[in-house]
Amino acid sequence: MLVPEFVPEIFCSLYLPAIYTGFIVGFIGLIGIAINKSDIHVLILTDIVGLAMLIVVGAVGTDLAEALILPGLVVELAEIMAISEILISREIRKKGKTPSILPMPLVFDMEIMTTAPNFLSLILIGYGIFLTGFTGGAVAGGGILLYILSRKARGLPILVINGLGAISGIAWCLWIVGFLLFFVNPEFWLLSLFLAASGLLLKVASKVGLIGVLMREEFKRK
Amino acid sequence: MDIGSLGGNLLGIIPLGDIILYLTPLHLFMLIVILLFTFLIAVSRTETQVEASFEGLKDNKSTVGIAEFKARRFLAIVCGIATAGAMITGDLFNFILFVALTGIVNIGIVSAVKQIDVLNAAFQYGLIAMMASLPLFGGGAIILAATGTLSFFELANIASNPMILFGSILLLIGVAGETGIAPFFATKAEMFRTPGSPFILIIHLSSLFMIIRAIEILLLILT
Repeated sequence: MLVPEFVPEIFCSLYLPAIYTGFIVGFIGLIGIAINKSDIHVLILTDIVGLAMLIVVGAVGTDLAEALILPGLVVELAEIMAISEILISREIRKKGKTPSILPMPLVFDMEIMTTAPNFLSLILIGYGIFLTGFTGGAVAGGGILLYILSRKARGLPILVINGLGAISGIAWCLWIVGFLLFFVNPEFWLLSLFLAASGLLLKVASKVGLIGVLMREEFKRK
Repeated sequence: MDIGSLGGNLLGIIPLGDIILYLTPLHLFMLIVILLFTFLIAVSRTETQVEASFEGLKDNKSTVGIAEFKARRFLAIVCGIATAGAMITGDLFNFILFVALTGIVNIGIVSAVKQIDVLNAAFQYGLIAMMASLPLFGGGAIILAATGTLSFFELANIASNPMILFGSILLLIGVAGETGIAPFFATKAEMFRTPGSPFILIIHLSSLFMIIRAIEILLLILT
């Protein structure tokens, strides 16, 4: 038994019912999502599944579980906020208006929003990753939020890289060469594996797939 | 399974208090590739799609505004750094958090696009990502309950039992949902139908790397 002796027996016996409760709650939420077709209701029901996650994690009841439950909560909140923003901006676009990057009715008119958001948000995110846990999640989330809220923030210097397309083409060739080598000369499996792997990775950067997308867009427009 | 035998020889550990990172040749390779790609994204401009129109000589240009471009680039860099962190992390806790962060940031990258159907796809993907946080965090919690630790160095030495297996399966479902691979890929494929190529591609690359790492972690825990 992993649990220390001084923990009462009743606490240990609560773990299984709590896990079952969590999964049943999640299942009920999923059934609701399957039945309901309205977007806003689906969004709200999805939050129930998130709450079930909190129950499952909370059932463990140790320090580490607490450390896991708090970022879970933060993730849940961040996702529901992001999705609801997407829903709002989609509805605004459906009406033919153009929403801002952050469709928010408030006006943030503070000096810090224009002077130092890059530096502050980088510090916050770095420190947040270092902290981990709830505090880290909150700090890093605050950094991202600060950056997004201060829409006038200056970005990093931009260099033009025209060769990206060429890189992807060459990488694709590497992938094919790697495959060929794999069958022709199996002793060099490590080399061919790395050729194929790195080629495939860089090939992701290719824009070939977008051609098909353009065709589909065009057919839809007609 | 021994921690060194999966990704090659153990090159070393980087202890940062509770957080222990470790490096094997596989992790080092993936770390360097993702950091390189993140750097390329950080210094690149977004593309402008030129759509040829049928029955005519007109072209439609769909561009990305400067404000949208900046927010998107920032989120793409965060996504790259989170993926790089997940490559070398030494405990399941951090891996789960990095996967969850990647999921959120992926939604964020496409959250400001103009096309309604892309927004629709992002909405659906966001719902899946939220639902997937139940198996993701739940799987981690069940592994924690079964073993008492989330460190890979400890987990690699603990023999598998049905509870760990159940937790691992949940974890795999969670990672699949957050990164949008096979059963959940439909909405994610729709999300690519928008201009802004290099930033959109980090979505794809991060999920690829996350899956490779997740498979390695599952092998580490189970065998």
